[in-house]
Amino acid sequence: MNKPVLQLEKLSKIYTLGKRTVPALSNLNLTVTAGEFVAIMGPSGSGKTTLLNVIGCIDKPTTGRILIDGVDVTDMPENELYKIRRDKMGFVFQTFNLLPYLNARENVELPMEGRIASKTERRKKASELLGMVGLSGREEHRPQKLSAGEQQRVAIARALANDPAIILADEPTGNLDSQNKQGIIKLLANLNMTQGTTIIMVTHDGEAAHHTERMLLLRDGKIMKEKQGTHAMKKNNVCPQCGSPIKPSDDICPSCKKPIYATEEQF
Amino acid sequence: MGIFNRAIRNISRRKTRALLVIIALGFSLAILVSIPAGVLANQQAASRITTNLGSAITAQEQALNQTLNQVTCSLASGFGGFGFTGGSGTGTTHTGGYGGSGTGGSGGYGGFGGFGGFGGGSVSGQFGAGAFGGGQMNPMNETLYSDINTSISGVAAVEPILQVSEGKNQTVSFYGRSFTRLVPQYIIEGVPLTSDLVGNYPILPTDIVSGQNLQAGETGDVLLSENNSAYFGVGVGGTVNILGTNFNVVGVYQPSGIEDTEMLYMNLSAAQALTNNVGYITSIKVFTQSPSDVSSVSSAISALHSELQVSTNQAELTALESNQSTSTSAVTTAQNSLEATNSTAIEEIIVVVVATSLIVLFVMLYTVRERTKEIGTLKAIGFSNSSVMSQFMLEGVLLSAIAGVVGIAIGVFAAPSLTSFLQLTPTLSRAVGFRPPTGAVVATATVSVSPELILIGFGVALLLGTLGSLYPAWRASKIKPAEAMKYE
Repeated sequence: MNKPVLQLEKLSKIYTLGKRTVPALSNLNLTVTAGEFVAIMGPSGSGKTTLLNVIGCIDKPTTGRILIDGVDVTDMPENELYKIRRDKMGFVFQTFNLLPYLNARENVELPMEGRIASKTERRKKASELLGMVGLSGREEHRPQKLSAGEQQRVAIARALANDPAIILADEPTGNLDSQNKQGIIKLLANLNMTQGTTIIMVTHDGEAAHHTERMLLLRDGKIMKEKQGTHAMKKNNVCPQCGSPIKPSDDICPSCKKPIYATEEQF
Repeated sequence: MGIFNRAIRNISRRKTRALLVIIALGFSLAILVSIPAGVLANQQAASRITTNLGSAITAQEQALNQTLNQVTCSLASGFGGFGFTGGSGTGTTHTGGYGGSGTGGSGGYGGFGGFGGFGGGSVSGQFGAGAFGGGQMNPMNETLYSDINTSISGVAAVEPILQVSEGKNQTVSFYGRSFTRLVPQYIIEGVPLTSDLVGNYPILPTDIVSGQNLQAGETGDVLLSENNSAYFGVGVGGTVNILGTNFNVVGVYQPSGIEDTEMLYMNLSAAQALTNNVGYITSIKVFTQSPSDVSSVSSAISALHSELQVSTNQAELTALESNQSTSTSAVTTAQNSLEATNSTAIEEIIVVVVATSLIVLFVMLYTVRERTKEIGTLKAIGFSNSSVMSQFMLEGVLLSAIAGVVGIAIGVFAAPSLTSFLQLTPTLSRAVGFRPPTGAVVATATVSVSPELILIGFGVALLLGTLGSLYPAWRASKIKPAEAMKYE
């Protein structure tokens, strides 16, 4: 069994709005092990984003403990916490959040600045990552010259910049058309398969969630339900559509001839 | 892609805004360097004017103190100079020259005294010498006045002078008769070059611009004024022909005033021979042993020779003294206005410093607000508070540095007009525009931005950029990423 990269123990987050207190997370327990592809689902206001922010160390829980890679970060001061964000986390946002005045490669280089001193090394790694997300040759393009799908790929490359323990994706397909949506899900799934990257994705898109390994349903700040996604079967080299054995490189099941990941129509 | 490049890109990202901000900041900074430039220029001008005025007064005082022991004697001039009554006198005695001591003030037509001589026909050189307005050209028999030197106590020396104007004749009509009058081209000033006078008494010009002054005993030499030198077209070492006689030019002097611009100096005896005035002079300058002797000597001369008009320099000194107090108060005014200027400058500097910092502050606050989401992103992907802060500090400082260069460039070219616009120089130039005793003493100092001021200006630009960016950058560093993400 892989070691846990994320442990949440009795996590609560209570927002105070004037005199009212609003519980966003209540007594939540969760363990994510290395190499998992997790989807967090739930309706609006269920605490998805709060949970992601707390995991990403950009928000603090009211009570409870949070351990990342075995390190308790619950009470870590900001001047150490930023290193956890930089070295252990990779953020992917719904609106991509690329810096418009930097080109694709420079955006990917950003998180490396505090870690890798050599400029050429940063450059090399950024180009490699852009190649990995399928953007070779587009390194010098500024975000406004890239499509939405391409921008999200740049953002994913940026999230991978410091070989993080966890990639946190907040509605990564929320601003994409179905074709790009599929492409991004596939990219994340492949990264998870080939690189063993741990991914925690918040989404309210059921289909997207379905293609992960483990789906968590959040309601009122609690995990209500948990079920396996199709990605788990693929990981075991079984076609999620018909149950026949497949090879990891297969896109289409050799037995049922259906795509291993859902087509545009199925989304 | 370092922090510096990002700062540059962010500034150049919004070109119009950056340009406007740089122009605004640039002008503030241009004013900022112009103010001290103006103040420095004012101080320079003030110290120069004090010096100039001081030396002008001193020079005048010295000049007057030198002449304080002088009494000038000449024949009373006026209409009497027409000499019509005496015109029938014999030419040999020249009495006609001052035959009529009648009506008329000083100056004026006195020059016609020459007519007396015309009667005799032997003083052609003297003919019409006074011209219109000459007034003091009446020839005097030198021997008649030798008693001044011998019989009056308190007299140190006597300088008989012959002054003869030479020039072109011009015919004029007067009371139905035609006269020939002279338009002077040069004035022969014959002074006795004796060893007891030369060097001991101020009988010659002192401001020699080339060559040397006349020496005692010289007879074949002349000292020309700058105008003479130009008129004759001859300089030091050359020869000039005056009324048919050649003279060596030993020196050229700069005239001290309007009276001596056309005067050439030579030995009295040479002048007398040259102009057919042997034994005759036009005025007598008496040097007393001390200034206190002046009044007794002048009244003694008047008693001895009632026909002489006797004048002293006492009156002029009184005038100088009143001028001096005027000048002193003018300097005080100048200094007062300089102080006022300085306090204006300090006020202006404070205003500009505050304005410049506020420009940076607001621009950077706006930038931080506008880029809240970017800041949130940067922090989420692992930027520390301090690197976010340095990023924005650097942008503010860089903006100010660019504006500093622009501002200094503007300042270097526009400092004079900016300072006058800021009322820094006009007050002083008004104050310095007064007229001291001789001529105007005006001290101007150019308003210029010195290299030191450029460095200081640039330093101030960086400092104000830092000050102005401090709070916005701090705000940026404190932005909470979770909240910034919601910000659109």
